[in-house]
Amino acid sequence: LSPSDEEIHELVRQEAGDCLQRMESNLLALESGGGGAGEVDAILRDAHSIKGSAAMIGWRKAADLASAVEDSMEQARERGGLPAEFVDPLLRAVDALGRALEGETEAVAPIVEELASLGGAEPEGDGSSMADGPGGAPSRETAAGSGAGQATIRISAAKVDRMLDVVGETVLYHRRLEHSLGDTLRDGRQASEELDMGEQLLDELQDSVIQMRTLPLSTITASFPRATRDLASQEGKEVELTIDGTETQLDRVILEGISEAIVHVLRNAVAHGIEEADEREAAGKPRAGRIELRAEPRGRMVAIQVADDGRGVSADLLARAEEEEGSLADILAETGFSTAERVTDVAGRGVGLDAVKRHVESLGGGLELQSRPGRGTEVTLLLPVTLALMRVLLFERGGRPFGLPMSSVGRVVAVADTTSLGNRPALDLEGQVVPLSDLATLIGTAGPPLAEHPQAVVVESLGRSLAVACDELLGDEEVVIKSLGAIMAGMPGYLGAAILGDGRIALVLDPNHLLKAPLGAMALDQPDETEETTHTRVLVVDDQFAARELQRSILEAAGHRVEVAGDGREALRLIGELADLDLVLTDVQMPEMDGFELLEAIRADDEHSSLPVVIVTTLGDEDSRRRGVEGGADAYIVKEEFDQQTLLGTIERLTGR
Amino acid sequence: VSGVHVRVRIAREQYALPVERVLEVAELGALTPVPGSSPQIIGVCNLRGQVVPVMALASMLGLVAQEPDRIVIAELGERRAGLAVDAVVDVGELPDASEQVDSPYLTGAALVDGVLVGILDADAILSSVESPEPPA
Repeated sequence: LSPSDEEIHELVRQEAGDCLQRMESNLLALESGGGGAGEVDAILRDAHSIKGSAAMIGWRKAADLASAVEDSMEQARERGGLPAEFVDPLLRAVDALGRALEGETEAVAPIVEELASLGGAEPEGDGSSMADGPGGAPSRETAAGSGAGQATIRISAAKVDRMLDVVGETVLYHRRLEHSLGDTLRDGRQASEELDMGEQLLDELQDSVIQMRTLPLSTITASFPRATRDLASQEGKEVELTIDGTETQLDRVILEGISEAIVHVLRNAVAHGIEEADEREAAGKPRAGRIELRAEPRGRMVAIQVADDGRGVSADLLARAEEEEGSLADILAETGFSTAERVTDVAGRGVGLDAVKRHVESLGGGLELQSRPGRGTEVTLLLPVTLALMRVLLFERGGRPFGLPMSSVGRVVAVADTTSLGNRPALDLEGQVVPLSDLATLIGTAGPPLAEHPQAVVVESLGRSLAVACDELLGDEEVVIKSLGAIMAGMPGYLGAAILGDGRIALVLDPNHLLKAPLGAMALDQPDETEETTHTRVLVVDDQFAARELQRSILEAAGHRVEVAGDGREALRLIGELADLDLVLTDVQMPEMDGFELLEAIRADDEHSSLPVVIVTTLGDEDSRRRGVEGGADAYIVKEEFDQQTLLGTIERLTGR
Repeated sequence: VSGVHVRVRIAREQYALPVERVLEVAELGALTPVPGSSPQIIGVCNLRGQVVPVMALASMLGLVAQEPDRIVIAELGERRAGLAVDAVVDVGELPDASEQVDSPYLTGAALVDGVLVGILDADAILSSVESPEPPA
């Protein structure tokens, strides 16, 4: 600053100081009832003169505040006197104005806001072309931000993702630390409690970072009413769209891609669901068709439903779905997908639905469809709240871990006999012939030879199935899905990568891409007659999907009929319902009700007390073995020694079949 | 081209990367190959919880890497990758490029203590992955 500038500033401060003093005494006079219109006018004049000189030298915030005071006084003049509730804020404004002239402007914004709220008048800002000086920074947004009840800040999405990376890594680090401290911890109770506490805090931290990635559905729904209206007028139909639950939170990445899918479903509803107005009237419906879009949380997922009150899908199609025991969504998607030449209303509904289905499935979600002929159709897009977390089935091939979203995994089988399909290996799964392919071949890499009877994951989507052979199943786990990075973006085949507890990276495969691979296109339904067997009916109880499905596949391959339950409680319910159950095979550690409690409940139940129960334990767990025997288990099988002979032999021994 | 550079060794040759493009240098840990990715990418690595693609700098320069031991994490906008190198020599000022070179990944070369140092074109390297081949 040149000296002359500084002199001017000092002069302004002095003058303003005089004004402020007068304003204060006039305000106090008005408060005590000792003043009138003269004092109001005097305050107005002083405020106006401070505004003018502050604005002239570019002290923007001081000018804004003086202007706000002026506005308030203008109101007072209109009302014919200063309302009592104006006095305190105005006195605070005078103080703040004094400080603002010295360069301390923090208090300005909230007071401008407060004054504005007094009479509902907007504070008036001055031109923005002035140079910065004390209080020179523009203030509107800041004022709104700090004054509002729910303050928000803008953070770049990349920063949140980076934070999530670090938090995720800290969680893993914590687990490794806990693991390596193992024995030490058993002695030091306090240290172990501290570690548990740390883990809880980390989980909470991870959850809250994941929350930061979510946005309300309302960020994409604004265009839907217009899009629906335009579609309806194109089709010459009358349609009313209602939208509910737009506050429902979803991962921003999901939101970015889902808008198009929803518009597609809306278009289907308008074009194929809703009838012409005359037709509706004849059917006793209101002339205008109704479409309701609703979003609501459903467990760990979000359901976005589009329901119309149109004609629904044909009774034929419903019958077909029932006959094939397939889902209506699958059949419609498939129909629209495979028979483009059969352009009927029915097929028309499915057109593009396969794309919607593929999209939601690639996000780890699913598509449901319900319909009543003549009454309407309801399409539900089930989406995970966050893309950050996904439940995947992990398995190894060639010493490297891979994952597949659980939503795409139909079952897990132990490959016993292979048949052939088009001269290629295939599996016969109860009459359905599913092509079998080595994961290494599918993704175009080489691996060591597979075991003679490898394990295989059956991937299912859009009515197609493919058995993917691997070396070893690692189990299902909820993992944080990470991008492979901008350089590899757009590379098909992978949904991303997950970092496992041991620090290794598991590539998460895109199931739809696997099914499109040359071998994946060969799935055919072969209506083989399922042979009637007189074999045993076994209930497999295990909370781990992979273990459960593995046992199922071994038992089914041997001709047994298999039911499955995820915990003891569910098992008990099934035991009550299924009259012809021959044997129960149960894991020990499960949520809700563990294997021992299940055993105890079975033995205590008069009707089923003689049901053979086999306990599946982990190696070296002598405790479990003893408890099992004492509890009345008929046999135990060690998980690590689990093979077909042992399992089938045990069942044969216990059931005599 | 002058300024502060990170000087690295690849197959007994020396190269330098402008420091503005370098985020950090890390040890080359376990690499996870990504079947179907473009040949420049030798895999992804776990950099403190972040999945980062690693590029085969040696083969891009037509060299045979001795024992890649370090990765130089380079960044261009959103594009980020680890460049596998045998070792990091030093970080410091580099004289102006005095030699012309004929490589899409070099902007020139400079003489440092009688050793020719190729100056890497980080932007060209990070932009070299165009349309990756789909697996299968």
